[in-house]
This record gives sequence, C-alpha cells and structure tokens, in this order.
Amino acid sequence: MANELVRMDHVDKFYGRVQALNDVSVTINRNEIVGLLGDNGAGKSTLIKILSGVTPLTKGEIHFNGQRVDINDTNDAIELGIETIYQDSALVNQLSIARNMFLGREPLKGPKILNRMDTRFMNEVAQKLMGEVGITKNIPPNTPIVALSGGERQAVAIARAMYFDSELIILDEPTNNLGVAETQGVLRFVRNARDSGHSCIFIAHNIHHVFQVVNRIVVLRRGEVVADDIDPKVSTIEEVEQVITGDLEFIEGEMVASGANGETAPAG
Amino acid sequence: MSDAASAQPSQERATSTRIVETMKKALTQPEAGPLGLLIMALIVFSLLSATYLTAGNFSNLLMFTPELGMIALGMTLLMTAGEFDLSVGSVFGFSAVLMWTFINEAGVALELAFLIAMGVAVFIGLVNGLMVTRLHIPSFLVTLGMLLVVRGAALYLTSGFPQRTWRVEAPLKEIIVGDIMIPTPIGDLRVFMSLFWFILFAVILGYVLMASKWGNWIQAAGGNPLAATARGVRVGRTKVSLFIVTAVLAAWAGITSSIRVSAANPNSGTTYELEVIAMTVIGGTVLGGGKGTIVGTVIGVFLLRVINNGIIQVGVPGLAYRIFIGGIILGMMALHSYMRRQQQAAA
Repeated sequence: MANELVRMDHVDKFYGRVQALNDVSVTINRNEIVGLLGDNGAGKSTLIKILSGVTPLTKGEIHFNGQRVDINDTNDAIELGIETIYQDSALVNQLSIARNMFLGREPLKGPKILNRMDTRFMNEVAQKLMGEVGITKNIPPNTPIVALSGGERQAVAIARAMYFDSELIILDEPTNNLGVAETQGVLRFVRNARDSGHSCIFIAHNIHHVFQVVNRIVVLRRGEVVADDIDPKVSTIEEVEQVITGDLEFIEGEMVASGANGETAPAG
Repeated sequence: MSDAASAQPSQERATSTRIVETMKKALTQPEAGPLGLLIMALIVFSLLSATYLTAGNFSNLLMFTPELGMIALGMTLLMTAGEFDLSVGSVFGFSAVLMWTFINEAGVALELAFLIAMGVAVFIGLVNGLMVTRLHIPSFLVTLGMLLVVRGAALYLTSGFPQRTWRVEAPLKEIIVGDIMIPTPIGDLRVFMSLFWFILFAVILGYVLMASKWGNWIQAAGGNPLAATARGVRVGRTKVSLFIVTAVLAAWAGITSSIRVSAANPNSGTTYELEVIAMTVIGGTVLGGGKGTIVGTVIGVFLLRVINNGIIQVGVPGLAYRIFIGGIILGMMALHSYMRRQQQAAA
C-alpha cells in the first residue's frame, strides 16, 4: 500500500444524537485528485472537517502515511501536511499576498528578540509561487487580498498549500462564485498541484467542474459512502447525478438501477 | 518631429508622471487626510493668534499631549486586533491613586509602589482580555464594566480625595517626567521626559505593527480571526497581550500625569477613553479591526490636542471644544470611508 496517503477507517461522527457519518471508509492515494460528491447534508463537510481538525471523529481511525494519527485541532492537521482551502479561502483581506501566504509561519531574520519578519524573502517566494501556480499576470506580492479577484484568491491559497508541502490539499467549493475563465484557472492550479506531487480532495456542487479535474469520484449519501471508485472517464455526469440522488447504485464498477433487484434500502 | 527631438520631452513627461503617481499614492494613504488637517490647523491658529507661535504655548501643548498619546498607541494595536478598551481612563486615574496611596499610607518606596501599580494594570488588562477571548463577551461590555469597577476602586480607596504627591523625591520621578528647557528661535521650550517616552513607545509599537511577526498576527486577528486561527495564529493570546499593553500604557500615563501636576485625583482620566479612541480612528485605524497605523495615531493625537489648545488661543470658548472634535471625527470617518471605496473600485 505504498501509494496510499490517507485512509479513514470505519469513521462514525455524531453531533449529539444526529449521526453525520456512518461507518465511512475512504482512501486517498498519492498524486490523485479525488472528487467528493453528495447532496446537502450527505456528510461531505463533516468528512473534511474531521480531516482538517475542525471537529473530532466519534469513532474510527485515520491513517496518514501508513501511521495511525489523531487529528485534534487545525494545527495537528497542518503539521501532518493537510491543508484545507475553504470557499472564502480563509485569507485575511487586509493583509498582502505574501503576508497571507506565511501567516502563522512567518520567517524571521535578525536577532530573535526583534521578532522581525523577513519581508523580502516572503515577497520573493510569493512572487515565484504565484507564477508556479499558473497566475501569469504580474501581481506584486504586497498587493492586499481585497484587491484580488475570486480566482486569484484561490490561487493564493493553493500556492500557500504547495509551498508548505502539504501532501493533501482539501478544496471546499473552490469554484463557487467564479466566472468561466476564473474557474478554468482554478482547475489548472489544482492540476498543477497534483502534477507537482500533491494529493487533492475536490468538493464542488458543479459536477462539470469535478469531472474536468478529478481521477476518481467518491459519493456520500446520508452519511454513508455509496460509491468510492467512479471513474469520470467511464461514467457519465448523468449517472453520477443519479448515484447522488439515489436513483442509481454503483456496485462493483457497474451502475445498477436502484431497487432493480428488489432492494429498497441503498447499498452500503 | 524627429526621434531625437521627441525623446527629451517624453522623458520629462515620464518623470513628471512618476511624481504625480507618487503624490497620488501619498494622498490615498489614510494618514494624508488628518495630516493635511493638522498642518492647516497650525497655519490657521498661527495667523489668528499672536500668542500661538510662542515657546510658552508649545510648551503647554507638549505637556499633556504625550500622556493621552501613550494610551492611544496601545489602543491602536488593540483596535487593529479587533477589540477596544473603555477602561483606560479609569486605569489612568486609579493607577496613580494606588501608587500614591501605597507611598503615603504604607510608606512604600516610590519605585516599589510604581511596580505594584504596573502589576495591577497588567492584572486589569489580563482580566479584560480573558473575559473577551475566553468568555466571548464583546469588549465593549467587558471594558465598560471594568471602567466602573476601576473608577469605583479609585474613589473608594481615597474617599474621593486627591492624594498628595509632592513629599517624595526619587530619581524615578525625573526619569518618568523630568523636564528640560530647549532654546529655540521662538523662546525656551519646556519639554518633559514624557515626550521622549511617547516617541520611544511610538517607534517600538510602530515597528511591532508593521515589521514584526507579532504585528502580522495582530492584523490577522482583527482582519479575519477564523482564517488566522486556521493558520495556527494564537488569536486569543494576541488579543490578551494587547489588552495588557494598553492597560500598562494607561497606567504609565496616569502616573506620569500625577507626578507632573503633583496630585493624584481619583477622578482624573474621566472620558479619556473616548478622546483616545477618537484620536486613533481619526488617524486611520479601523474600529472593526484589521488595519491600523501608528503614524496616523500620532497625527490624530496631535491634531486633537492642537485644536483643543488652538481654539482657546483664538478665543473660542473652551466649552465648544467638543463640537470641533465631534465634527472632525465625523468628517474624517467620511473621508476614510470614501477613500476605501475609491481604492476598492480602483482594484
């Protein structure tokens, strides 16, 4: 299993008496973009909140790089190399690109007591990274986030994840509220991130965006994994939509009409 | 026109556009508005009053300004981190009263009493900070409560009477607020050590805010606390430390004032919190957090004190001072908001 990066084993999550996740097992491999799909309330958010340390799991195990790990807070996740990019990219609008990229991990120079940030180094790295992630337009690294477009903000967040060598980058609705060209830009950043050795979990309401970029699709329905190996090259968008709604089941690589063999309950 | 002939003027044009660009950039800084107003006020008062541009008047102006200014410096960092402190005026009065009560009633040495008062200020800041960050109570309510508790403590401790402060001689008094005469073309200027401390604190806090890692955390804590927390920034700890810094500076200012005027009045410092917050926002620091400027605060401090001093010099009744201050706050807020919208539209 050398290719395995993260494995969630039989994970349950309760919020009080409400069960958000039921016996969920998901594996993410290296150099892979996995699309995580499901209707509202299917458990997508809960799953990534557990991985990014926002909320603890109730039962089950997480293995990272082959070792069992406990993710109790966001710092644990960051230290493991799990970076989460939320819809609003979790950036500080008033701060510059460079200051955001290094927020919480600012490089220092000079005597330690002066606590002085190495601003020049930060600006140089930020400039270089913005180029690497695929922003060709020349944006000075001291530009405040508030002056950037939605796609550029996602680019900053993705560049930050790449620089800090996050092995797993979780993208939660990164294409929300973006225009067509900007969306293509973000999808390109995601592909670049994978090609430079990062794994990604990609969540989007727009299945078209998911299909353009992922290697594999995992579908959640009412807190359970109902499919974990849909190949976007083989299956169609319509089929996946029906798996999400429960009109189709994905069993052993085949799309099967729900209830065709007399079953009413969705297969686990 | 040949190339050689056209090259010269176009180069000149490039230089002049650069100058225009630089000026435009300078004018869009949040500090530009209050600085312009400050310069204008100085000119107008000098023209209207014969006694304005004298060493005596400027000595007066520089006497009290650093004391309020120190508090405004702490408030700037705290407001940048998204919080503010209404208890500074009370801490200003209480710390001096506490220090002199220890000296007068218990015979404690001035140096030790100073340290005790500072320690109590640290404690007040710590309580403010912990209640805001741990119990998630808005800083308005926490520090309003603290305002009453601390003011009440000052009044109760002294039964409402001022403490005498002139009996003790100690070098620390000179270090905090000793005075020197500086000869200038407009006469001998009397300057207190408090001005030196104000400048030193301004340089340190300005550096902290703009160049240090801590400054990045302060701005992030005020700008987007959730994002900052997600990056591992210790937002709570940052805010608590700033509540402490602000309380300590308020105590320092209060003790300075009590030594300078030779009295520790339990009522002194009343409503200073409002004046200090006004100075800070006029300078360009955003009340909601995320953006702050020490340079702007220093300008705001001088602007309000220059106007306070000037309108008395030109014969406007002192009681009208608040009308001017209120007007300036409203005007500057409108200007800052206009400039922010312009910048966002440009981007």
